[in-house]
Amino acid sequence: MDERYSADQSEIMAGLTRDVVVANQLGLHARPAAKLAQEAQKFTSAVHILCEGQNGSEPVDAKSILDILTLAAAHGSRLTLKAMGLDAADALNHLEGLFLSRFGEER
Amino acid sequence: MARQVISGIPVSAGIAIGKAFFVNRSLRGRLPRQTVASALIGEEIERLERAFVEAETELMAIRDRIPDELQEHKHIINSHVMILKDPKILGSAKKYVNEHQLNAEWALEKAVADLEKAFSALHDTYIRERMQDVQAVVERVQSRLLGEQRDASAIEGRVIIMAHDLTPADTVVLDVNKIIAFVVAMGGKTSHTGIMARTMGIPAMVGVSELEAEVSDGDLVIIDGFKGKVIIAPDDEELATYHELQVRFDVYQRSVVKECLLPGETSDGYRVKVLANIELFEEVAVVIDNGGEGVGLYRTEYSYISRTELPNEEELVEEYTDMASILSPRRVVIRTLDLGADKFMAHFGKLEEGNPAMGLRAIRFCLTHPELFKIQLRAILRASVVGNISLMFPMISGMREVVAAKALLDEARTELRNAGIPYDPDMPIGIMIELPSAVMVAEFLAKEVDFFSIGTNDLIQYSLGIDRTNHHVSYLYQPLHPAVLRMIKQVVDAAHQEGIEVSLCGEVASDPYCVPILMGMQIDCLSMSPKAIPGIKRVIRQTSMEECKSLLRQVLECNTVSKINKLVKQTIFQRYPEELTFVTSLLDIDEGVPEHPLRPAS
Repeated sequence: MDERYSADQSEIMAGLTRDVVVANQLGLHARPAAKLAQEAQKFTSAVHILCEGQNGSEPVDAKSILDILTLAAAHGSRLTLKAMGLDAADALNHLEGLFLSRFGEER
Repeated sequence: MARQVISGIPVSAGIAIGKAFFVNRSLRGRLPRQTVASALIGEEIERLERAFVEAETELMAIRDRIPDELQEHKHIINSHVMILKDPKILGSAKKYVNEHQLNAEWALEKAVADLEKAFSALHDTYIRERMQDVQAVVERVQSRLLGEQRDASAIEGRVIIMAHDLTPADTVVLDVNKIIAFVVAMGGKTSHTGIMARTMGIPAMVGVSELEAEVSDGDLVIIDGFKGKVIIAPDDEELATYHELQVRFDVYQRSVVKECLLPGETSDGYRVKVLANIELFEEVAVVIDNGGEGVGLYRTEYSYISRTELPNEEELVEEYTDMASILSPRRVVIRTLDLGADKFMAHFGKLEEGNPAMGLRAIRFCLTHPELFKIQLRAILRASVVGNISLMFPMISGMREVVAAKALLDEARTELRNAGIPYDPDMPIGIMIELPSAVMVAEFLAKEVDFFSIGTNDLIQYSLGIDRTNHHVSYLYQPLHPAVLRMIKQVVDAAHQEGIEVSLCGEVASDPYCVPILMGMQIDCLSMSPKAIPGIKRVIRQTSMEECKSLLRQVLECNTVSKINKLVKQTIFQRYPEELTFVTSLLDIDEGVPEHPLRPAS
């Protein structure tokens, strides 16, 4: 595993974060949102998403498609993924990969 | 019970007479709202969770009954299952039970209301529409909480299916042989119910808001899928009238389908070519099945806007070659790109345009991007060797653009020749006549090209100066306005003067009221949505050129559009009563003229 992301006990409690960008032309619409929720559900860690610029807005549950949709994250939005739990680092690596691959969409 | 009529939006044509059967009713106002004693909170949470599990089991069972050919429905149900399992709704409902001691139904109502609020703040229509999925799923859970279960297998005989809202999950469990119509309280023109009913060939109505209040299970009703009426407890006379109409429609449909492969020829031997407007390769089969004699307008924008990268020449050659060879020897008129600069933002940068409809689009855009344009021109030329292809330039305003476009086409030809790539040197070249200026100079334009195609949708908007999607002025959208008719006639005459063919592609071409007038002008081809072809061929085959010419003469003497509409309606009603009853016309728009056009609608 990548050194940078290996977590010790204190990090698990505080949670790990990762910044991602929505590369999909149509933003985080229903299909990518569904994919994100589905994949997030595979990890035991709690994963939340924070949207940059939405000050004071509550983090949304990455395991809930409905919560993700309420973000209405458009193309180019910068988001922060925050994971807490034993497989937090794996979860972040995996979910970041989804963003980078535009959730398997062409554009 | 007294006779009563309620109305809605007709989405599938036809008449049905039968008994009502509700598959679901609105839960609004029927959900109990109570507080729960602290000691019973655990039990209430359990009841809530159980309802979710039961609803999921129900949905899974429905999914397993869907035949493989209805994959699309499976996807919809899968997404419903996913929403059901989403931690959000159940989580927030449980919170309401725990923290506010609400009963399960009420808590669920509150949870959905919260979500609805969050969604309605979003500007994305697609995401906002997902709320409908959430509602469908939650209604299923609420029915479980209420202990309601409607057993559709209990239907006896053939019935008219009625519902508050009809989702694919509701319909897949129904036995299609037992359904003679659909009537839904919710929904709009584009709803799923309409698509399904049209496939099944039965009438359907949506948006019948009074449905649940006025109709009960087992009531005898008539569904008029032409006018959008539900007649509750009809009298004997009405039953007889509608029964007769039903038989007539049946006969009409059979004859239309049977005759659609015959040529579009009047009783006195005048031939009108009936062609199709299409956008996708997949539509070719529909064109052929409906008796289309070719494609009069192939819109080429799809391959440019369906993805990020611009298509390369080879991809376009393949697309056009496939199209031409499958339709051969029928013709395909390929219209070059009719897009605005806004569609190419990613490639050429953003453009500030106050009024894009009159901005840098179609041929104007192509002429400012010759390299992009020539890729398409070369592709069309290369495909022309395999089939009967014609090329057409859109949005021509005058001579300068025709000359410039043809010069680029010549460059493309030279490039191909130098590279030793074959093309058909005699491929016909035409232009769209859709701007009033092109109409006025049609006599000059006719000397430059092999054919005209009149695009009436744009021509009407540009010449009457109205945006038909703007409901304040849409009543002014009058296809038979004396000015519009004169322009069309002028173009036809200019074309025939030079001995070139003239075609018309616009909604007018598929309007049974307008077609006889266009024929009177001796239009050569009509190009329309593939589904409209059989009905229009029937109109052509039933009429004679002599009648059309006489109608045109009378029409041209009228000085107002209302006189023309009245005259045309009378004539068509006498000549083709079936078309008047069974086909919708653009002319119906004039019934929507506001009484006080200057006062904004409240």
